Formats: sequence, structure tokens, C-alpha cells
Amino acid sequence: MKRAVCLVILAWISVAGLVGQEPGTKVPSVTFAPVGKVLVKPGGSATVQLDFRVGSEFHINSNQPKSELLIPTVLKLTSSGPVNVASLKYPAGQDVSFPFAPGEKLSVYSGDFTVTAVVKASAKAANGEYPLNGELRFQACDRSACYPPRAIPVKFEVSVVGQ
Amino acid sequence: MKRNGAVFIILCFAILAMVASGKYLNRSRQHGITSTLVGDVRGRTAPEFELTSLDGKRVKLSDFRGKAVLLNFWATWCSPCKVEMPWFVDLQKKYGRDGLVVVGVAMDDTEASKIAQFASEMGVNYPVLLGTDKIAEDYGNVEFLPTSFYIDREGKIVGKGTGLLGREEIEQNVQKALASRDAGMNQASRAVAAPNVAKQQPRAQ
Repeated sequence: MKRAVCLVILAWISVAGLVGQEPGTKVPSVTFAPVGKVLVKPGGSATVQLDFRVGSEFHINSNQPKSELLIPTVLKLTSSGPVNVASLKYPAGQDVSFPFAPGEKLSVYSGDFTVTAVVKASAKAANGEYPLNGELRFQACDRSACYPPRAIPVKFEVSVVGQ
Repeated sequence: MKRNGAVFIILCFAILAMVASGKYLNRSRQHGITSTLVGDVRGRTAPEFELTSLDGKRVKLSDFRGKAVLLNFWATWCSPCKVEMPWFVDLQKKYGRDGLVVVGVAMDDTEASKIAQFASEMGVNYPVLLGTDKIAEDYGNVEFLPTSFYIDREGKIVGKGTGLLGREEIEQNVQKALASRDAGMNQASRAVAAPNVAKQQPRAQ
């Protein structure tokens, strides 16, 4: 009988977990990879690769979706003292057709994508660490359903190092 | 041998019960569900709501008592939702005389005028209401779109569809909602007429 009880518990753990993952009910995830040390001289600039990963089975609109009704992926970073973000470059989206609209191509990100930021330090910037904070706002869908817009925090540090 | 058989049957029942509870717990955990309208909602009374239509009128679910209601949660940014809308237009035409009312609940966080423009471009011939967090919560924390509830003439939920369904499946659910015709006809005389959707205009912002 003990064996039967153990079997029931094992079955519960494995089967309940699997069944809970119904299509259209998983929560979409986008994750931000940690950024290594970013060094900038006063008055100089540096290019920073910001890597994101969209959870499997999901896609998010690119920064330039093909319809103004679609919510674009947007990264917003706030300046930190003498360090600011001079430019952001988004990757081109992949043009993909989905089963829900086979005749239409959407511009999306799926899997890994990278946003390139150029950060600049003012000429008078003092040596030190300057955190840049912000968020990536996106709206995800899977093959049959869409999810409300979400945002994830994005944070990295820029070290200003004088000569 | 008999003992083994009995153990096997008990195991099967236990696993089925646990699968059901696991499914419920998983959904609740993932979505922070606080509403009571979760799990199998069939047979449950559809929660009453009062929302603002695109033309600024207050519309309640009970306004449609005596009619079958297809309550569709959607948004302009939801591509799969766009696929269903022409089907809903057709179904409203086909079954409107039988007592079907399609009711769209737009979950956009944008101006009503933009929603109205979109609905107009899609040829929507049914009322569109402006969704709120409360209705989403009351209907089981509606999060993914499209989500539709099929409500019979007595206000009971007879079906729910999450994500894009096939047109046939949608129509079957509509027919189920209309099936309580006899019970509904008695109440129909008490029902308040559905808003005249053809005259819907966006409210002033």
C-alpha cells in the first residue's frame, strides 16, 4: 500500500505539472542578460550590447511593427548624472506569418535579440560608477493568444575612468 | 489479484483528482487569480457588469437577459482577435434574430475613438464596451486575448474559449448558448433591448 501511495504522489507531481501548462496559459517571459563592465573616459562614449531573450513559444513585436495598432518593443533608459544614452539601435524584426493570420506578416522578435546602446560621458564627468536604469516594454503573443503589455527592468553600470 | 485491481482503480481516481487540482493550482499561481470564476465555469452565473459603450452609454449584462450573449474580450493590439471579429459579425447577422448578442469588451488602454475607428474598419455590427480591470478580474482574471464567454438566455455560462478558436467551435458554442430558447423566450419579454450598435459613435474624450 505504501508503494501505491508513493506512486500516486509521483504521478501527481509529474502529471499535474505537465497538464498545468495549457497552450495559451503560460506567462510570457523576456529576460535581460547581465552586462559586463562598461568603461568610458570623460567626454568619451562606449557601445553596449543589451541582450534579451524571449521565452520559447512566444514572440514580441519588434520596435517597428507593421501596424500602428501593434505595440512596439521599446527600451527606455534614464540618464545618470554625467552619463547619458546617446542612441539606441534596435535589430530589424523577423517577418513571420502566424497560423492566426497566414496572409499577413508581422515584424517580431523571438529567441535572442540585442539592442545596441551608445552611452556618453560628459567631459566634466568625475571618475566613478554611474548606474543606468530603465525598462524594456513589450507585448507578447503565442500562436493563438496575446498577452497584455509588460515591462522588465533593465539596469547596468557605466564606469567613468579618467586618464 | 483482486487487491491489485482495487489498488489500480483507486490509483486512477486519485491521479485524476490530483491532475484536476494541479491544473487549478498551476493556473492560480501563474496568474495570481483572485476571482472565483476559475476552472470549469460552465453552469456558473455570468458575473454582472456595467461598462461604458463606445457611444458613452452605460451597459449592463442584465440588459441582455433573455438573449444569448457571446462576451468577447479583445484588444486592437491583439492580432488573433482580429481573425475572430469577421466571424462574430457573421454570427451576429446569422443568429441575431434568434436572440444572439455579441458583446465586445475592448481591453485597450487607449482612447475610445481609436477603438471605435478600428471597430468601424472591421465592420463590427455589435456593441463594443470599454473593459476595466474589474470585469477582467470578475471573469477569472482575463489576461490572454481573445477570451470569450458564451452565456445562455438565463445568464449562465455554457462555454468559454481562450485563444483563437476555429469558427466552427465558436458557432457550436453560440448554438449552445441559444439552446435554452424555451426558457429564454418567457424572459425575453422582460429583456431590455440591446443597444443600437449601428448608431455607435465614439464618446468625446
